[in-house]
Amino acid sequence: MSTPPTQASAADASPFDGGARWPLTLLAGSALVWLVVGSLLALLTGIQLHTPSFLADCSALTHGRAQAWRETAFLYGWAGNAGVGLGLWILGRLGGHPLRALNWAVVGTVFWNLGLLFGLIGIATGSMTGFAGLQLPRAVQPVLVAAFCAMALPGVLAWAGRKREGTYAAQWYAAAALFLLPWFWTATQAVLLWSPLRGVVQTVAASWHAQSVVALWLMPLALAAAYYVIPKQTGKLLPGYDSAPLAFWTLIVVGSWTFGRHLIGGPVPAWIPTMAVVAQCLLLFHFLVIWLNFRGAFAGGSVTLQYMRFGLVAYLLTGLAETITSFRGIAVHTQFTLFGPALEALLLQGALSMFLFGGLVHQLPRVTGRHWALPSFVSGHASLVMLGVVVSVLSLGWAGLAQDALLNHSQTPFAEILVQLKMPLLLHSAGQFALLAGNVLLLVAFLRSALSCCQAEGASVLRPASSAS
Amino acid sequence: MSASQRPDPGPDRSPLSDDALQAGHEQIIGKQPDEKGKYRLLPLNLLFLFSGLIFIGGTYLGRFSGHFHPKVFNEYGQPPKAGAAAAVAVDPLVLGKNVYVQVCAACHQPTGLGLPPAFPPLAGSEWVSGSEERIIRIVLHGLQGPIKVKGVEYVGAMPAAGPGSGYNLSPEKVAAVLTYVRKEWGGIETPVSVAKVAEVRGKEGNRQPWTAAELEKIP
Amino acid sequence: MKNRPLFLFGLFLAVLTSWAGFVLGSHGQLGSLTPFFDEADGQSHPARLPGLAARGQAVYADLGCAACHTQQVRRPGFGSDQARGWGERQSVARDYIFHAQPQLGASRLGPDLMNLAGRKPQAPSAEELHRLLYTGSAAHPAFPFLYETREIAGEASRQAVRLTGAAAPKAGSEVVATERAQTLVAYLLNVNSGFEYPEARPLPAQSPASPEAKK
Repeated sequence: MSTPPTQASAADASPFDGGARWPLTLLAGSALVWLVVGSLLALLTGIQLHTPSFLADCSALTHGRAQAWRETAFLYGWAGNAGVGLGLWILGRLGGHPLRALNWAVVGTVFWNLGLLFGLIGIATGSMTGFAGLQLPRAVQPVLVAAFCAMALPGVLAWAGRKREGTYAAQWYAAAALFLLPWFWTATQAVLLWSPLRGVVQTVAASWHAQSVVALWLMPLALAAAYYVIPKQTGKLLPGYDSAPLAFWTLIVVGSWTFGRHLIGGPVPAWIPTMAVVAQCLLLFHFLVIWLNFRGAFAGGSVTLQYMRFGLVAYLLTGLAETITSFRGIAVHTQFTLFGPALEALLLQGALSMFLFGGLVHQLPRVTGRHWALPSFVSGHASLVMLGVVVSVLSLGWAGLAQDALLNHSQTPFAEILVQLKMPLLLHSAGQFALLAGNVLLLVAFLRSALSCCQAEGASVLRPASSAS
Repeated sequence: MSASQRPDPGPDRSPLSDDALQAGHEQIIGKQPDEKGKYRLLPLNLLFLFSGLIFIGGTYLGRFSGHFHPKVFNEYGQPPKAGAAAAVAVDPLVLGKNVYVQVCAACHQPTGLGLPPAFPPLAGSEWVSGSEERIIRIVLHGLQGPIKVKGVEYVGAMPAAGPGSGYNLSPEKVAAVLTYVRKEWGGIETPVSVAKVAEVRGKEGNRQPWTAAELEKIP
Repeated sequence: MKNRPLFLFGLFLAVLTSWAGFVLGSHGQLGSLTPFFDEADGQSHPARLPGLAARGQAVYADLGCAACHTQQVRRPGFGSDQARGWGERQSVARDYIFHAQPQLGASRLGPDLMNLAGRKPQAPSAEELHRLLYTGSAAHPAFPFLYETREIAGEASRQAVRLTGAAAPKAGSEVVATERAQTLVAYLLNVNSGFEYPEARPLPAQSPASPEAKK
């Protein structure tokens, strides 16, 4: 282990973790279950790309619906649960008080996951809304917002009632994410589901929401985890931290402006894609600062830091690639091709998930007071998901470039394009399989750890009675 | 299991306590006030970079925003000027072709070849390529009795199509359909102007259909 | 970040600005678009979707067709939209004002469907669409659950999907489109935007030798 031994070898336990143990474990567990469901569907939709007849006869798993399932299970199920769990934990620890209103969080989590379950059943039976990133049936969506408010309540209370005046970056990102989602989700529901806007304004609102879900909710939660975990693991303060506030506000202010990069050449006024280019350029500053702050992650050797490193590289690559491809001259080649899904996979599976994995792997032993029960499963998960992300992103990128050549620069009939893309698409399925296998390993390791913790309840193996913090 | 196999150092060791984490980072942000007591926001090079990005973004926005106009879909486009849209909107040839298809083509045929013995051709007709004064009158008020076209005599009755008639075509549409017919089958590029149609109508008013003999007296 | 309410207010303001600027802003600009009355043919464009087609849009949405199909033609010069005969001009906001839920889509694993009925050189017929939906192809999944195989009672239905080869039903039965399939196909064949709105014209600089101007 290359982590330098340090003077402060006191146990990293916080007196506030004990009370939050079960709510946080519940959140992490639900997240991992949804993660496996989402990976399974990602594999299914991946196979359907090169073998369209695969399970297509089943109306619940026809490609369009399976895609909606996959997206929903990943964003709202996996990333939502895991991110909220990490956000609450970080805000609680840094807030200096035990988390309050945790009962609300438990009730919220239960309703959130039940809502998702009913939502997915609704998608399978034909109540999907048809807005990308927001396919959950409309009856379920208000329930989810209410459930989220309950889940987020302890976090916002911990932010507002914190002991220390000064704050740390992880707190800003976590508090922002927990605070913002209900507002903009409610606003989006109002203009899309309850009193729909006219024509393409709906597309503008839906794309804005899909972008905000990632830029204002999930990514801040993941960055909060990274901001918290990286210095905790390396034992060093973050370099270049004095720029962190401006990087934070850059993301919060312009992060949602970038949705228009997918709408070039189409039926929205030119200023919307142009604003997206401008926002992408401004976000370069955010990415640069994140790089400056997180580069310490390259020093350590723990698996947690491996996740963080991978996430960091993926985050920066996505930022750079999305900026470049937002310019119209380049976007015209990547628009509508599989290059878009490739970048999305790099951002969501490469950056977002990895930061969250790092956070979870760091969090669980501290919350339960015990080491991971199956450490080799966790390392296996890390290797498999990193391999899977690299393979599926590269193969989708390859497919996207080949598709551009066939689609935009030749008269190849449509029926032949997909056939010619078979090779990269098969590779992509292989990558998705690796991801699924890895995620199953992590779920098993989690269940074993949670169960053994359950059995040893009361023993408090590693937990000091109270550690002065 | 040995510690080196663990994915995470775990809770038994903490290189950096929560307190040290917060206090240390607060100091990085808070230590900046210089000797004058000024608060330094950012290292200078990053500040330059950030301003540079804002400048590039602003320039790009000014260049490609389409003036934030709702109907500019092309980033190189300019908002339409008031009135200009209407002027571009009606192309006499497009309008004329539509009017021809709706009103004239039943007798004169979409090909302009007519249908003997009642409906004379327009294609190659000396009437079409001849004086615009005459054909304006034909369309406005109709034509009755025999008429000789390309050496063949046709006998039929063409109803009036101008304002106030059964077809009630506006002077714009009359001008457009004549422009279309003369270009398509008479090879004449000069459009028939709306003003000219209005002038003829003002001179003649609403009258009975013309005969070929009457028309031949008009220059 | 020391002031607690101010921090939350700042967050709120940042998101409010973005939402108001983009969503309310484009609603203010495009929310009251009216159909364009064309002097030349005396009709308003776009026309409303016929009832059957309007219901088909819901089927299109709930099957997630937008996962692989777009419904937007980009302007000439952007990709091969024009060369593939998907439309002569770019789609503009006005094309969608009567769509209950525009399905612009973001992926072209399948072809664009904005002008299916007006596609050059040849538009598919309803019959062909039903056959593709029922049997699928190497690049298109099948949707057999939108069809009903039933025994022929008396005379064969005139609307039965004509099938040959392996997909053909056994003698004495026929494959008939359910109501959902019929509305879906009606929708596909009615989404079109042939009319050239003033705002959809390409810029003069981009088409120096515009064929319309020369005709």
